[in-house]
Amino acid sequence: MFRVDRRFFMTFDWVLLSLLLLVCGMAFFNLYSASYPPAGGMPPYMKQAYLLLMGMAGIIFIVSFDYKELHFWNYPIYLLVIVLLAFVIFIGNSAGGAQRWINLGFFQLQPSEPAKLMMVITLASYYSRKEVVNGYSIKDLLIPIILMAIPFILILIQPDLGTALMFVIIFISMTVFAKLRWSSFLVLGLSGIGMAVVGWFYVLKPYQKQRVETLLNPAKDSLGEGYQILQSKIAVGSGGLFGKGYMEGTQGHLHFLPERHTDFAFSVWCEEWGFVGSLFFLAIYFFLLFWGLHVAMSARDRFGLFLAFGVVMLIFWQAVINLLMILGFLPVVGIPLPLFSYGGSSLLTTLFGMGILMNVRMRRFQTGSNLEDCDV
Amino acid sequence: MFKWTLLKELGEISEHDQAALDTLRKRVLGAGLIIVFFAAIILLRIWFLQIHKGEEYKNRAENNRIRIREVAAPRGDILDRNGKELVTNQPSFNVVLVREDSNDIDDLLKRLSVVLKDDVSVLWERIREAESKQRHIPIRLKENLSWDTLAYLETHNMDFPGIRIEVFPRRFYHYGDMAAHIIGYLGDISKKDLEEAGSDYYRGGDLVGKMGLEKLREKELRGEKGSSSSEVNARGFEQQLLTNVEPVPGNEMRLTLDLDLQQIAEESMDIDGKAGAVVAMEVKTGRILAFVSTPRLHLEDFDGGISTKKWQALLENPKHPLINKALQAMYPPGSTYKMVTALAGLAKGVINKDTTFFCPGHISFGNRRYHCWKRGGHGTVDLKRAISESCDVYFYQVGMRVGVDGLAEYARKLGLGVKTEVALEYEKSGLIPTKEWKKKKYGEKWQDGETLSLAIGQGFNLLTPLQLCQMTATLVNGGKLYQPQIIEKITDADGNIVESFIAKQTGELTESEKQYLELIKEGMTEVIQGARGTARNARLAGITVGGKTGTAQVVRLEQYKHLKEEDIPYKYRDHAWFTAFAPAEDPEIAVTVLVEHGLHGGSGAAPVAKAVMQKYFTDRLAVEEIRKSVAQ
Repeated sequence: MFRVDRRFFMTFDWVLLSLLLLVCGMAFFNLYSASYPPAGGMPPYMKQAYLLLMGMAGIIFIVSFDYKELHFWNYPIYLLVIVLLAFVIFIGNSAGGAQRWINLGFFQLQPSEPAKLMMVITLASYYSRKEVVNGYSIKDLLIPIILMAIPFILILIQPDLGTALMFVIIFISMTVFAKLRWSSFLVLGLSGIGMAVVGWFYVLKPYQKQRVETLLNPAKDSLGEGYQILQSKIAVGSGGLFGKGYMEGTQGHLHFLPERHTDFAFSVWCEEWGFVGSLFFLAIYFFLLFWGLHVAMSARDRFGLFLAFGVVMLIFWQAVINLLMILGFLPVVGIPLPLFSYGGSSLLTTLFGMGILMNVRMRRFQTGSNLEDCDV
Repeated sequence: MFKWTLLKELGEISEHDQAALDTLRKRVLGAGLIIVFFAAIILLRIWFLQIHKGEEYKNRAENNRIRIREVAAPRGDILDRNGKELVTNQPSFNVVLVREDSNDIDDLLKRLSVVLKDDVSVLWERIREAESKQRHIPIRLKENLSWDTLAYLETHNMDFPGIRIEVFPRRFYHYGDMAAHIIGYLGDISKKDLEEAGSDYYRGGDLVGKMGLEKLREKELRGEKGSSSSEVNARGFEQQLLTNVEPVPGNEMRLTLDLDLQQIAEESMDIDGKAGAVVAMEVKTGRILAFVSTPRLHLEDFDGGISTKKWQALLENPKHPLINKALQAMYPPGSTYKMVTALAGLAKGVINKDTTFFCPGHISFGNRRYHCWKRGGHGTVDLKRAISESCDVYFYQVGMRVGVDGLAEYARKLGLGVKTEVALEYEKSGLIPTKEWKKKKYGEKWQDGETLSLAIGQGFNLLTPLQLCQMTATLVNGGKLYQPQIIEKITDADGNIVESFIAKQTGELTESEKQYLELIKEGMTEVIQGARGTARNARLAGITVGGKTGTAQVVRLEQYKHLKEEDIPYKYRDHAWFTAFAPAEDPEIAVTVLVEHGLHGGSGAAPVAKAVMQKYFTDRLAVEEIRKSVAQ
């Protein structure tokens, strides 16, 4: 399909790849400890390793064509994801009362994960094509709102409030970035607040409300949601300066920490590597995000810039929400730490996002005129 | 191709407008600031948790991980002076529930209630009481399982997930209720005690002594709890044992009591259901050999908390079983007080060995007539006869001459009016009146007539059986006042002696006073050995016994005067006293008996004392003599 030439190696984003592999390496390493002892079957860290290889193949595939083609592929992808989301509601595998997965045999696909990336591509495509001088009016935003609302509602009824809210956050990030009028800002803001109020009283399920209430008053419910937050804080805090040592964390290994290899994987890292280790990880992780912004700034066109920015925001907001949850600032919502938490769908999605970033980076010097030169 | 034309079209839209791109790039920088902002919050928060609060969370992680389990220490045994076991421990099997290991508690309790023969609501109540505890902490559902129930639960343990059997040391009373008032009982520690204890030794639900020596010597008897710490996971399953400290058993306590004497004394009091007290003491050391208060308490009733019904019955019982009558109740001494009057008279020089008074059966003083118990009178009596026949008139005369304060002086020298300081609870000090006391108490002047009543033990004076026993010992041991003691030896778990008996003298008569004791002793010996003594029925063949009877008037009611004694209502009958010692030649033991409403010392109380002394001198009494006394 593609021809490898010298230019590929020269323009390829080796920095991003290095950062990516470093983070994934730490995640793999941490996962071994966080899922120890193995419960039988393929251990999570091995699965993660296979998925990482799959993801790498996906990256190579993605960088091999010009991201511009996503303008076209966006629509079939959108449709496919929506179909999967609808499918999951009727036939999905349920866990904890919510239907989120489609069993693909070798792994469980959670369509809401690729849906997040799909949302970024869709919005990037729309905003890059439709440019306005004085910002978007409400009328201009009608189409993106509808595009966002469809997956949002499908995920909300799974129910998975945390993931659904991610769509709103991505939408807000990219829309504000694309610039909108003050009037639109006001209208959207007020209707958003209105919907939140209506949602609290009519849409949220009791357990979701309880999560929010627990955050406000964790002592009230020390064996429920508050327990998870508390145990995570204990895990992080007890790491101290240098941590308890690899494989020596008691909170994780004695199962005090819930979801220790998925959403709370970073608690295990903090417990075992302490402040120094946490600092090291976050430095790499945030450097990766900044590098993503750098990619966005160096993009050759609007679409590339929006794509890169959207991918960075997608990873950034998930990371911030996950970290703030682990550190006891946010309620327990099912948002993973991208690249670090165990979870195939999330990992693959994030890696594909990374592929898009690399794609944008590689094609930063090309112009629309030499579009045909791309090795497609 | 459709695909390419679409892309070409799109390319024409101002995608490459450099100015528009530049404004967007500036906004990317703005987004960078937002990322920096959140990164800073996250870093600060991690610093706060790991560095600022690091130690605190480290402790909490340790507390999470380590479970400390307390192991109850066996309480110290209580033995008699000869090493006979009075109270020891035996394992008690309790059913406990670990909620964490049971997924359907409702169903479990339903089935368990059938096995335990308890109502489900009773079991639920136990769980409710412990609701706030963590789920891995066992909750006790029932104590003291029978062997059948225990065997059933052990063999069917698979059917009862979360149910375990706990072995707990429990008090075992080898002689039932013997010496119950001294031993006391155990009960769940009260909230008040828990707070007062101050230390972190006790936990709610611990058993502590509630009465008697169990309470007074709690610290020595309880031992030290053991503890084991193990690493547990979040579900509460133990992963590995970290430390294990075996409990230290409580100290063994050997009492001065002689269980044989105690048993005889208690059984003698049980005849006819006598309410009262018996105290037997070594006269030359102060060791208490028997210490009885009847009616006895049933210690088993107190095990695991006494029922309200039984408690109410104890409170309402007219014989007051809750009071240890040997030292927690005061009685008028009656004629047993005459030795005080005699000693005061001799020491003050009012009388001597040969002083006689004529007893016509009464004496007139002021405008009142004071009767002798013998209406016909004793005729001319000296001191020895006055004691042995308990002539009231003689002692009226002596008391009148000595005066109230003189009597009080010698009462105090003999240990009356103050606590003996025996190490038991709620001791009463008795009452020895003086002129000053009356002035203070009633604001009235002392009437000389009152001194007469006082001289024969019928005035304001009150004493406890223990005090009278101590006084008897002092009179016959040469004038030394020994503190009564109950503990012979305390030995710790390693066999080291922690405390052992040392005779403690708290007072002594002067040499000049001591010389009168022999005369008083002779008089007291006549009480038993003499032909007209008032307690001739307390004689022991082969052993010379001395003593004194006493009758303490409860009320002086004309309406009962004409009645036969047996017809007087129980609560208006006189208290019977008898205090004795033996052998008269070189006294070893003093025995004091009080029988509430027992009418006469000689008939009501003396047989009990005799039985105790008979047991004490068993080895010395000729076998034939014992046979003879049995035949009588």
